[in-house]
Parts: sequence; C-alpha cells; structure tokens
Amino acid sequence: MASPQTVPCVNINDEFVQIVSLNVKQGDFVKNGDVVGTVETDKSLIDVAVEQDGYVLRIDCAPEQKARVGSVMFWLGAAADEPVPEVISTDAEARNAAGRPTAKARAMLKELNLDPARIPASGERLTAADIEDWLARTGKTGPAAALPSPSTRTEDSPTVSGELLELSAEAAGMLHTVTWHRDHAAAAYLELEYDPKPWEELAAHYATQQKLMLSPLLPLMAFRLAALARERTLINSTIVNARRFQYRPVNLGFTVQVGEMLYLTVVRETQDMDAGQFIAALGEVQRHAMAHKLPPQEASGATLSFSSMARWNVSRHIPILPPQTSLIVAHAAPKTSGKAVLGATYDHRVLTGFDVTQVLLALSRPLIPGMTGTYHPESTY
Amino acid sequence: MPFAQPRWLMYIMRMFIAEPMMSETLKINTREATLAGESTPWAQLRFTRNNHGKPQIGLDPENLYAFGHLIRLTEQLILEQFSRGLVSGTTHTCLGQELTAISVIRALDHPEDAVLSNHRNHGHFLAYSGDFAGLVAEIMGREAGVCGGWGGSQHLAYRHFHSNGVQGGMMGIGAGLALARKLRGSGGIVAAIIGDGTLGQGLLYEAMNLASVWKAPLLVVVENNGIAQTTDSRDTLGGGIEARGAAFGLHTWRFADDDPGFCRKVAAAVSEMRESRRPGFLVLDTRRMGPHSKGDDLRGQDELDTIRERDPLAALARQLPSATCETIEANNRAFVESVRLTANASPEATLDETPAHIFTLHVEQPLPGYPVMAAGSTVRQSLNSALRHLLETDSRTLLIGEDLHDPYGGAFKVTQGLSTGFPGRVISTPISEAGITGATIGLSLDGYLPVMEVMFADFLSLCMDQLFNHAVKFPGMFRDVAVPLVIRTPCGGRRGYGPTHSQSPEHLFTAVPGLTVVYGSHRHNLGELLTDAVLRWRYPVLFLEHKLLYGEKIDPADYLTLPAADDDVAAHLFPTLLRGATDPDVTLVSYGGMLAVAEAAARRLEDEEELAVEIVAPSLLSPLPRGSMIRHLAMRSRVVIVEESHHEFGVSAEIAAAMLESGFKGQLLRIGTPPIPIASARSLERSILPDEQSVVEQVLELF
Ligand SMILES: Cc1ncc(C[n+]2csc(CCOP(=O)(O)OP(=O)(O)O)c2C)c(N)n1
Ligand SMILES: [Mg+2]
Repeated sequence: MASPQTVPCVNINDEFVQIVSLNVKQGDFVKNGDVVGTVETDKSLIDVAVEQDGYVLRIDCAPEQKARVGSVMFWLGAAADEPVPEVISTDAEARNAAGRPTAKARAMLKELNLDPARIPASGERLTAADIEDWLARTGKTGPAAALPSPSTRTEDSPTVSGELLELSAEAAGMLHTVTWHRDHAAAAYLELEYDPKPWEELAAHYATQQKLMLSPLLPLMAFRLAALARERTLINSTIVNARRFQYRPVNLGFTVQVGEMLYLTVVRETQDMDAGQFIAALGEVQRHAMAHKLPPQEASGATLSFSSMARWNVSRHIPILPPQTSLIVAHAAPKTSGKAVLGATYDHRVLTGFDVTQVLLALSRPLIPGMTGTYHPESTY
Repeated sequence: MPFAQPRWLMYIMRMFIAEPMMSETLKINTREATLAGESTPWAQLRFTRNNHGKPQIGLDPENLYAFGHLIRLTEQLILEQFSRGLVSGTTHTCLGQELTAISVIRALDHPEDAVLSNHRNHGHFLAYSGDFAGLVAEIMGREAGVCGGWGGSQHLAYRHFHSNGVQGGMMGIGAGLALARKLRGSGGIVAAIIGDGTLGQGLLYEAMNLASVWKAPLLVVVENNGIAQTTDSRDTLGGGIEARGAAFGLHTWRFADDDPGFCRKVAAAVSEMRESRRPGFLVLDTRRMGPHSKGDDLRGQDELDTIRERDPLAALARQLPSATCETIEANNRAFVESVRLTANASPEATLDETPAHIFTLHVEQPLPGYPVMAAGSTVRQSLNSALRHLLETDSRTLLIGEDLHDPYGGAFKVTQGLSTGFPGRVISTPISEAGITGATIGLSLDGYLPVMEVMFADFLSLCMDQLFNHAVKFPGMFRDVAVPLVIRTPCGGRRGYGPTHSQSPEHLFTAVPGLTVVYGSHRHNLGELLTDAVLRWRYPVLFLEHKLLYGEKIDPADYLTLPAADDDVAAHLFPTLLRGATDPDVTLVSYGGMLAVAEAAARRLEDEEELAVEIVAPSLLSPLPRGSMIRHLAMRSRVVIVEESHHEFGVSAEIAAAMLESGFKGQLLRIGTPPIPIASARSLERSILPDEQSVVEQVLELF
C-alpha cells in the first residue's frame, strides 16, 4: 500500500516550513535513510530523510513552497505503479454554491423586493449583472446603490399647479439611460465621414443573393460592428465600481423608432450567429417593436449598440450611451451630400478616441464577416 | 480631565517614579511640611523629621512610647470620626500593634527604602511619612487627604510607601522593587508587610522565591497577631511560620513585641538584612487589641482582657516616670486635636469633571529611533529586532519571562540571541506568572522599561490580579505615576495545543479599566508598534501576538491607515488599517491571527459572490478607537466582526455596542469561538474555531 512521507517538524512551535529542495522525482527508487531534500523555518534548516524503501509514486509539494508540518511531501510504494489514495477535500462540497444567486445578487433581490424566478440567469448562478439587465429591460429602477446620487435627490414640486403622473416603462427606462449616461459614463463623441457607395453595393449584392426584399445595409453594418467586438473586446465592456466588467456575450442594441417611441432593441448572443441568422433575428425583434410587443430580453441587456438616423436625413446625431455599455455607433447619411457619417458616443473611462476611430474605420469598410468567396468588396475598386 | 488632587501630591508621586533611586537630594515636600508645621503643633512633639518628612524615632522607651501613643490616639480619632458619621467605607486600626509598626519602619533609614503595606497600614504610614493630617483627611475623603481622596484607608501612597487592599497582592511588586534596587546598586531595601492570615496567599511564595533567586533585598515582615479578620490562625496555618522563610533560603528572624528589647532586635535584624543585600523573613508576634475593622470583634472578654494586660505600649509607659508620661500624653492629645480640626476644615474631595479614562492625552514622548527591519522580515524577526534595538538604545529596557535565555530563546524564539547579546538584562524566571507580573510593575515603578513575556496567553489569567488591581491603579489614581510596562504573549489556536494553550483571552483584558490592549498582525509594522508601546506609552500595555503569524512576512499589502481622531487615545501609536471597497457590500472587522482568515474569506466573497468587501483591521483593542474606527464602521451597511476569541461578552460585543451608540443602522454579525473549550484534536479544533469556510458561510447568511 502507498504510504506518505510527511513534512517534518523543524521547531515544535513552527506550523509551517519552507521546502528548500527536493531531489527526487516520480518513479525514483529511494532507500530508508536517503536524504532527499531540505526544509527550513527562519530559525533552522533540516534534512528530509526517507523513512522507508520504495518508489516515489507522486510528489505533492514543490521547492519554494510553504508546507504545513505533517502534510504529505510525496508518496512511496513497493511498486512503481501502486495507486495513491484519493483525498477527498472536506470543503469541496461546501464551496459548491451551485444554483444559488450570488450574494450580491441576493442583496439586490432583497433590496428591490424581486422574485428571482422571474429573472433569467446568464450563467450557472444569477448575478448582479443579470438583475441589472433585467431591470433595464423592464424599465425598473435599479438598486439605490447603483443609482447615482443626484437622481435619488428629491426635487421640489413646481410651484405652479399640476399633477404627478407615473412614467411608462419605456419612459422610465429612458430616464434610467439618460441618468446613467449623465452620472456614470465619461461620454465623448467623435465621427468620421466615409464614402457610402461600397457598403451600399455590398448590401445590394447580398440582397440579390439572399433574395431579400428590404435593404440589409443597416443590419449588415450592425452585424459587422458585433463581429468587431469579438476582436476588440474592450468595446464590449463597461466599468463597475472602478473595475472593468467584460461582457461574455455580444448583445447588440439597435435603435428602432416606432411612431413616437424609440426602442433600443437587442439581439442577444450575436457571437454565435452568421450574417443570415443575425438579419433574421434582428428582423424578428424589429417586428416585435413595430407591434409594441417587445419581450424583456429583446429590450434590455445590450452590451454594444448601433443607431442609424439615415432615414431622417440628419447630418449628425450624438446618441446617449445605453446603461453599462461603452460604445454606441451613430450612423447618418444625408441623401444630398453623397457622403455618409459614422459617429460614436463612447465611455472615455473604457475607450480612447484612438480605439473608437479604429473601430469606425474598420466599420466604414464593407465586409460581411464569415462570407468569403461569394463577394469581395475590394474587388469593385 | 483634571484630577482633584493636590499639586504637592503629584510632586511626591513624581519623585517616587521619575527619580526614585537617585533621591539622595530629594527635597522636602514643602506644602506638607507647612501643613504639619502650621496647622498642627509638631513643635510640641519631641520628634524631628528628616528631609523627606520621616519622623526620627529613637530606641529609648520615651521616644517609642511617645510615637506609639500618638499612633494609638490617631487610630482612636479615626474610629471616633466613624462614630460621628464623618467617615464612610472601612478602616483597620493597628491598636495594640503600634510597636510592631514602629519597630520596622523606624529602622528604614535609607532614603530609597520602600514600604509595601496592607489594610492595617496606618501605623506604618505615620511612621514613614509623619503626615497625620494627611492620613485622617484621606480617610475622611477630604481634599487635604494624602491621596486626594482616591485611596481612603487602605490605599495610601507617599514617596516609596504604597499600601493596597488585596492581601499579599503587592508581594511580586516588592520583589520587583527589590530587584530594581539591586540592579542599580542602591543601598535601599524593600519591606513588604503582611499579616499572618496572608501566609495563605500563593503570591507570597512566588515573591519569596523570586527574591531568593534574584538575591534581591526584599524583607517580608509578618505581623503575627494570631488572627485573620475573625478566623483564628489555628484554622489557617499549616506548618510553622519561620519554616516558610527558611524553605526559600531567606534569612529568618522572629521577635515578640512584648519583649523589652523588641525594637532594638528588629533594628539589628533590618540592618543585618540590609548589609547582606539578600532577602529576609521577619516574623513579629503581636496581638490585635481592637476589632478587625469597626465593631467586628467576636473574641471573648477573657481573651481581650489578656491582650490588654499584655499591651506592650502600656508596658513601655510603666518604664517611664509618670510625669513624663503625662507630658507626652498631653502634647499628643493637643496635637491630635489639631489634626482633627485640620481634617475637618478641609472640604470634601471633588472632581471638576469625571475622567473618561485614566490617560493623559497628547503627552508626546520624544520620537524614538526605530529598528531597521530587513526587507522580508517575518513577524518573529521584526519583534526580535525591536527588542534588540530597545536593549541597545535604552538602558532602562529589561526582558523578563520564562525560558527566554539562549540557546532556547523563548518558546516561540522571539528573544533568541538577546540573552547572549545583553547579559543580565534578559531575565529567565521561575514559573510564577503572577509574581513576575508584579515584579514587572515594581521595575516599571522604579523607572525601568520592562518587557515581560508570558509563554502562552492562556496563562494571563494568572496575571489578572496584578493588572486589574495593581498595574492600572497607579496611573489611574495618580496622574503623574507612569507604569510603562509591556506584557507580550502568543495567543490563539490552530496548532492542536488544546484547551489551555490555544485561547485568545483579549476580551478578559480589554475589560480591565485602564489597560491598553494591542493586538497587531503581519499587516502592521509590529516592530514599530512594540517600540512605541515600550517607549511612547507610559501605561501598562498588553501586547498580543498570534502563534501562527510568527513565521509570516510583515507585509502591509494594500492596506491604508485610518487616521486617528483627536479624541482617540493611543490610536496614533497603534493604528487601524483598512483595505478594499470604498462602497462595500460588507465590511469585515478582524485583528490578530484572525485577520488572515478574514482575508481569505474576503477573497472568496469577492470572487465567488461578487461582493465588494472592505476589511478593517485594528491593532488597538482597548481603549477602543471610537473617534476613528467606530465612526467609520457606523456608516457601513453590513459589518461582520470576526475574532478568534471566545466572543460572548467580548471585543466584538464592545465594538458592536459602540457602533450602535455612534448611530449604526445596518446589519451586524459577530463571528467567534463558541463558549466551549478548544479541543486538542486538529479535526475538533477545526470545527470549533472559525475558519475561512465558516466565515464565508456566516457572512452569506446576511444576503
Ligand atoms: C485577597 C483578599 N482576600 C480577602 C480580603 C479581606 N480581608 C481583609 S483583611 C483580612 C484578614 C487578614 O488577616 P491577616 O493577614 O492576618 O492581617 P490582620 O488583619 O490580622 O492584620 C481579610 C480576609 C482581602 N482584603 N484581600
Ligand atoms: Mg493576622
């Protein structure tokens, strides 16, 4: 049976020793009394002598390491292939908090009096970010701590008579967005002009090929942006409590104006999609928006956004950053100028102007990620 | 926080402490001399007083009778003041034992001779100080009292005279005072006076043994009146009295106060003992003529008659012509009447403001030099360097404790190399925790800076009386008295040492009023903390160390220092550290060895539970840094106090209460060891002491 060689005690009052050297390796045969290493405390150094003949089966410590007196240094056996007994970690099961929301999430649930069953978890455990997503999506206000203090400050009612009306969920969501932008993000804006022709041609080519009735230009540009986030992960992150929060999925926000209502629709998990799937998913979301029937997961949780005002013929628009994102690309294409504009509102805490310029430049060049061979945009020039 | 205390008393106390041994040039305490001279007709008495105020009492019957009679009249006055309702509390007179008191004290003619007395101390005090009005006023609680009303009958202080109400409680202090005299090469001796009933007190034997081992001039005086309060010595005394002294190798004498040559024999014994520079044991047979205290004498009339017939003072009077006696008695009566008037005229002692604590704030000691620590020093090395530095740079420093000497260097090797480097200044002692604590107090009272080591913190309970009833009382009662001692000791479990070698008893000691309790960690600069405790804090300090941290590297990591508040006491020396989130979901408060566990738990709470965790790590447990740490914690929303101690009624409870008083509105949790013994088996110990896992689990219950 395998038997352990344990870490020797140097001084009765020292609980830990430093492993200075260990001159055996797995498979070595050692004899009782062989000196195979040294351990020390800050007081003294002693040799480690093997206590029985045998093959070294496994080594459980390494030089430079601090080891508890009495713990296993290595295992010895009569044959080189003897099994080493399994040690069951006592706290392994206790550590397993599987399924339970994180403590931070539980604190938020309690504070906001929310039912965790209603909130989808993005991973194994419900996290604070999951709750924040859900809140943004459903237009509810977040935890007091997450709210910037100015917005929690009570305002005096106007002196002129009137009545207080509750905000709609969308309007409340917009208030939250604007407040986050104002109080948390260090918002900056830049833009560059580009020639819209190549992108239009690529879109037309794609539409023909895929037999699409509507121009896929904007969806393709948005998809290209989502794809860029896979290489440039910084644009798909935010700052939380002075640390960077890197999103795992790329959930693309895409503004949709329906009558008087501006929605930030969201296509989730775009990182696993190809262009066709993305266009289809976005089409679906847009249909829901048109009907004012966006489900919460399609109205919240954006990690990166795209907004076009090409339809309105404006020459420039500077969008508000959706909460806890660091980049929203603003597209404008005034019909008369023959030029188009790619602008970006970004959180300067995360991104620099250089980072954003790189993204806009890349985005201005037509490319359909994952599509090769069928069409090569550069070939038109 | 001013103490209502006569300025002249402070002056005396300062002499007692600051320049105790070099006092050949001590000036007479002028206020007292005037008081005695003007208000009481000392001139009518036949005694002169030396320049410390001590009456010079000759060995002739006239002198002895005159002073003995004066003491008796004063004791009678005190009892009368009681019956007039002018005194409250208690008192113990030495009626019948006056000659015993005079015999020893009059022979203490060296300016550095010290007296440690007990409850029956008036005769000793008067023979030492000559301050009759000071005594009576003190017992009456008047401003003119020798201790400003703080001491009453049992706790008197005058130069090198101290009495206290714990029977035998000052014997260790006596050994320390005697050792101080020996170390300084002084010709003074220490007389420690007890009753025969106190022969049952264990500390006495520790002290006799210490004095014997140290060859220090401690004279143990037993006033053997055959009774203890109401109990006959038949029922309290096993074996012989002198045999006790002889057993420890003490030169032993025994005299009876009705022996005509009594005072001369005592004087010869005292001077023999002084010459020998060795400890002695002097048994004085006497009888108590009055009650133990007031009206509590249960003895039969026959016995009382026998005692009265034996009265050695009356025997002295019979040796004198009756005219002489009458003159003496008339003068004494006039004198004691003037004492009564002086005491009556003094207003009640008052305080302008009740002190909030015993400490004088912002007494800046000169900034000491600090030891240079090698980078990567462990806690053990850092403490060792600090001690070495103290021994090198300040000749007042002494180390005292069990097994400190090389090559062993202390159970946890903190003093290794020091006994070799500093011969004579690292004192390995017998197993006598109470005795050496007392000795440490004695050494510090005499101007040394002793650093004592207790081998395991569990044994601190043996030191409790010395700290609780003695060390903190000196600076507590007398603002000018410094007791700059430090007791270091390793605490804590996780070593499998079992129930009496694993505890963290800080909570017992933070409860001692006036004791400064410091418990740092490897995050603090422990070498500096220890240096400051020794050099910059004049009060008794308990300096706790955790066994598991000795091998840890000193590393402040990402901790910041919480600035001390103006109203904090000592927080500028023993800082609170903090790290982590500025807007935390939870704040962990932890100290000592538990801090490492709290840090591991915090990491998991941050990584696995997304929590923003702050850690607050005080090094000063008492006095609690309310202005800084508590104020900081009071603003937090969730606070978990993690300690290794048995935490019921403990440090965490005090922190929690202070937080509530400062307006804390959040959630609070205390984590500590349940009130059960700490088992030896590692597996049992693991489930008893809070560890990373149990801390995480309990913190999560808040969410
Ligand atoms: C430690 C302690 N235990 C008990 C007492 C209460 N007490 C005060 S004096 C006394 C008797 C002391 O007898 P002894 O030592 O013979 O002195 P005596 O009163 O005879 O002078 C007692 C029990 C005390 N003061 N201290
Ligand atoms: Mg007695």
